[in-house]
Amino acid sequence: MLGSVKMTTIKQLPEVLINQIKAGEVVERPAAVVKELVENALDAGARRVVVELEQGGLRRILVRDDGRGIPREELPLALARHATSKIASLDDLERVASLGFRGEALASILAVSRLSLSSRTAVEPHGWRLGGEGGLASAEPVPAAQAQGTAVEVLDLFFSTPARRKFMKSPGTEARHVETALRRLALARPDVAFALSHDGRRLLDVEPAEDAAANERRLAAVCGAEFLANAIYREAELGGLRLAGWIALPSFSRAQPDLQFLTVNGRGVRDRLLGAALRRAYADALHSTRHPAFVLALTLDPAAVDVNVHPQKTEVRFREAARVHDFLFGLVHRWLRELRPEPEHHHGVGFGSAAEPAREPQPYALPLSTAPRLGEPPGRYFAAPAASAPTWAGLAEVSRAAVPAPPGATSPVEHPLGYAVAQLHGIFILAQNARGLIVVDMHAAHERVLYERYKRELAEGGVPSQALLAPVLVNLPEDEAEAAETQSATLLAAGLQVDRSGPGQLLVRATPALLPSEAVVDLLRQVLGRSSDSGSHAHLGEVLDAQHRVLAEMACKAAIKANRVMSLSEMNALLRDMEQTELAGQCNHGRPTWVQVELAELDRLFLRGR
Amino acid sequence: MHIRHVRNELLGALQTVVGVVERRQTLPILSNVFLEARDAELVVRATDLEIEMEVSTPVQNLKPGKVTAPARKLYDILRGLSEGAEVSFEIAEEGRMLVRSGKSRFTLATLGAEEFPSLAGIQADTQVTLTHKALRSLIERVSFAMAQQDVRYYLNGMLLHIGPQWVRAVATDGHRLAMSELALETGVKEDLQIILPRKAVLELARLLDGGDAEVTLSIGGGQIQVQLLNLRITSKLIDGRFPDYERVIPDSQDRRVLGQREKVRAALSRAAILSNEKFRGVRLQLEPDLLRIQTQNPEREEAEEEVEVELDGEPMEIGFNVTYLLDALDAMKTENFVLELRGPDASGLLFEAGESTHSKYVVMPMRL
Ligand SMILES: Nc1ncnc2c1ncn2[C@@H]1O[C@H](COP(=O)(O)OP(=O)(O)OP(=O)(O)O)[C@@H](O)[C@H]1O
Ligand SMILES: [Mg+2]
Repeated sequence: MLGSVKMTTIKQLPEVLINQIKAGEVVERPAAVVKELVENALDAGARRVVVELEQGGLRRILVRDDGRGIPREELPLALARHATSKIASLDDLERVASLGFRGEALASILAVSRLSLSSRTAVEPHGWRLGGEGGLASAEPVPAAQAQGTAVEVLDLFFSTPARRKFMKSPGTEARHVETALRRLALARPDVAFALSHDGRRLLDVEPAEDAAANERRLAAVCGAEFLANAIYREAELGGLRLAGWIALPSFSRAQPDLQFLTVNGRGVRDRLLGAALRRAYADALHSTRHPAFVLALTLDPAAVDVNVHPQKTEVRFREAARVHDFLFGLVHRWLRELRPEPEHHHGVGFGSAAEPAREPQPYALPLSTAPRLGEPPGRYFAAPAASAPTWAGLAEVSRAAVPAPPGATSPVEHPLGYAVAQLHGIFILAQNARGLIVVDMHAAHERVLYERYKRELAEGGVPSQALLAPVLVNLPEDEAEAAETQSATLLAAGLQVDRSGPGQLLVRATPALLPSEAVVDLLRQVLGRSSDSGSHAHLGEVLDAQHRVLAEMACKAAIKANRVMSLSEMNALLRDMEQTELAGQCNHGRPTWVQVELAELDRLFLRGR
Repeated sequence: MHIRHVRNELLGALQTVVGVVERRQTLPILSNVFLEARDAELVVRATDLEIEMEVSTPVQNLKPGKVTAPARKLYDILRGLSEGAEVSFEIAEEGRMLVRSGKSRFTLATLGAEEFPSLAGIQADTQVTLTHKALRSLIERVSFAMAQQDVRYYLNGMLLHIGPQWVRAVATDGHRLAMSELALETGVKEDLQIILPRKAVLELARLLDGGDAEVTLSIGGGQIQVQLLNLRITSKLIDGRFPDYERVIPDSQDRRVLGQREKVRAALSRAAILSNEKFRGVRLQLEPDLLRIQTQNPEREEAEEEVEVELDGEPMEIGFNVTYLLDALDAMKTENFVLELRGPDASGLLFEAGESTHSKYVVMPMRL
């Protein structure tokens, strides 16, 4: 018979096969093996972790650390399934502080490779090695030459599971995945040295960062100098939650979400809830097709996070998801809005070949050849004292401490955006400041100024809500209707009046006066649909976000249009407004509103070398 | 085709129909007008596929024929010619129409008249005849409340509800509703509801004069046709179910305000100056014999107006979109008006004071 399956009796699978199937969940490619092994090294207190790959890790992976090592008698246990030194009870599982906790990784790797584990603790005169292959650890450790620490060598990954092996990409691609994984780990642990080589070629080599400057060098090595030049460091703590790290300016957006590093208690995670919080925080300043860049570490009581939800440990679950969302969103939102024009630290624009080609074509951001120039004296045409031009490092220092510069240290204030000198083609304002020329897109800038004003007005005046002639019936799943009912007060504050009229039915009676009522029904569905699966009320904020989008449109319509002739005093007034406005660097669609052209760049155009 | 006539007459004919020509067209022929010289008349027709307008004007017909020519350009040319000038249209060669007047010559590109779409050929199931004045009044009293580009497409028009004894016009945008009724022996046996698209309503309002001449509405096959002397308007009807307006109109309310329409209207429009320009919210405080109107804008500028009214019922406070109130008051004709209210969360009902209350305006409150 066609397509039928040969019927056999039900049988318990052999242990080896079970292990191989399970292992597939933990280690699906060389990068996952490296991640597990490096996490073990970090859990063992390593200061230096060295990773060597051959043929993308498919032929050989070696991970060597200088951590505390494994005593001889525990070596067999380390390879055994469900054997771990990191937790001992359910209680421990509920407050995991280490990266590993399942006692699964080594056993999984062993199940699909030829593995040898060498280790030496501080008290042993020499090291011991235990070799294994395809899940069968050789019985007795043998003496081995080994410095204090552990080395795990993984040969012929997936040799026993050819089906899996077929899914591997080229060695180059696998090596890149390993590199990405290691970069993530390196970002999470600036205090540890990491090295990676592939077929003898060095891919990554970073030293532990003792101070902030070294930390920045590491960041530049891992994420690129451009990221560093366009990011600000911030940290804050509130009610047991701590967030620290770099957020990129909205103008440094990406076509892919490839510069988004978020750790929760040192563990790199990809979390939908946190991702959504960060997207919302940037939403006002970013085009919807672009992605923000950030390197952030969230720290909280381990007991408030469940790490045991994903085979590769890349997802977590929060006990108080809504609070974590609000914390993250609130902080990043505020940090972005606290940004004020800082010409040193903004879209510099380069002319000619001097600019390094940007790695990825960026429609909005401009090549940044000039922004992070360290210690360069300010323009020669202006008599600004050299001390008033803070270096990048100095600036970072100030922001790191999260305190404003002492008032005495600021020189008689020059306005960051300088003074208008002319209007160009009815589109741009030209202004001069100490560093050179400022070019402002007047429509985009005015649009942002208005938009922020409208939003402030909305926030201050409350959200008026227009009653509907006939209530609109919305059918939706029962849990969502339930959510709407319990949170009706929050919805009302955002202008939405809903009544539950049945198990899975809501009646919308009034909608925010700013929104067309039919749009609200979709919005409500969306908001409730999302909020119930993450158990958070935070997404109700999207009702407000939707009103902001309407305000953004109004701002766009109301902003001055091209060819409007402006007097110098009008232009200066706009520049001053911009300096006071949150997110003034971007229009509502994420395009920059102004750029700085350095005098040095102009010099270069005219071959006026120094 | 070759015709000749005075500029003013030709301009008038074009002016009548040019409004339906959409400025942005994907179908090129729709930016043209259809012109046909037959007998002693020139027929001018324009359409946007939803509505069609055809007007005929007597001309000197030198050679019968038909063609389509760019509507706006022809209109602008005629407008630019001097008042009493004589103008001729002539098909000079294939694809070209020559417009001549005195020393001016214009050659316009034409498209074949056969391709010009037509809505005509209506099968009238129902015919209702009423005066210009009555139809115009129905439209004027409710059309302001029509929705505009709402996804609930059936709101982007005006409902005509035709019963045996009356005709009602109703319009709503979901926040307010306007209804006007005209007593008329319509001859229909069963109630009939049709929705006229917004554009047809606005064109009708423009073209109806306030006189006692009669117009006939022919309805059938999803279309309506209105014949006004030498002008024929044909429009598709909106195919949808209009909301049950009768349920929305409250019948008895426990507070009743009687006010002078012009006084309250003027006070509201002054206060509106300092309302929030985005929401247009206005607060009404009803006290015995007094209506206090308050507005405030984000700059914290404030307006307060007090108007004498007669209040029957308990004092209360309620918020409205001031535009909705002004629209309703503007649509009324009488010296006094009535506002009935139940509570701050319930709808308000406005109508003209007097025995004959033909029009009703429902306005939903705004929580400020
Ligand atoms: N590099 C290392 N240095 C010191 N001890 C190690 C190292 N690698 C593994 N171990 C020991 O071996 C045990 C088993 O490691 P394995 O990675 O299999 O499990 P785990 O880390 O406890 O949990 P998980 O499966 O979540 O990674 C660890 O608990 C630890 O005691
Ligand atoms: Mg582990």
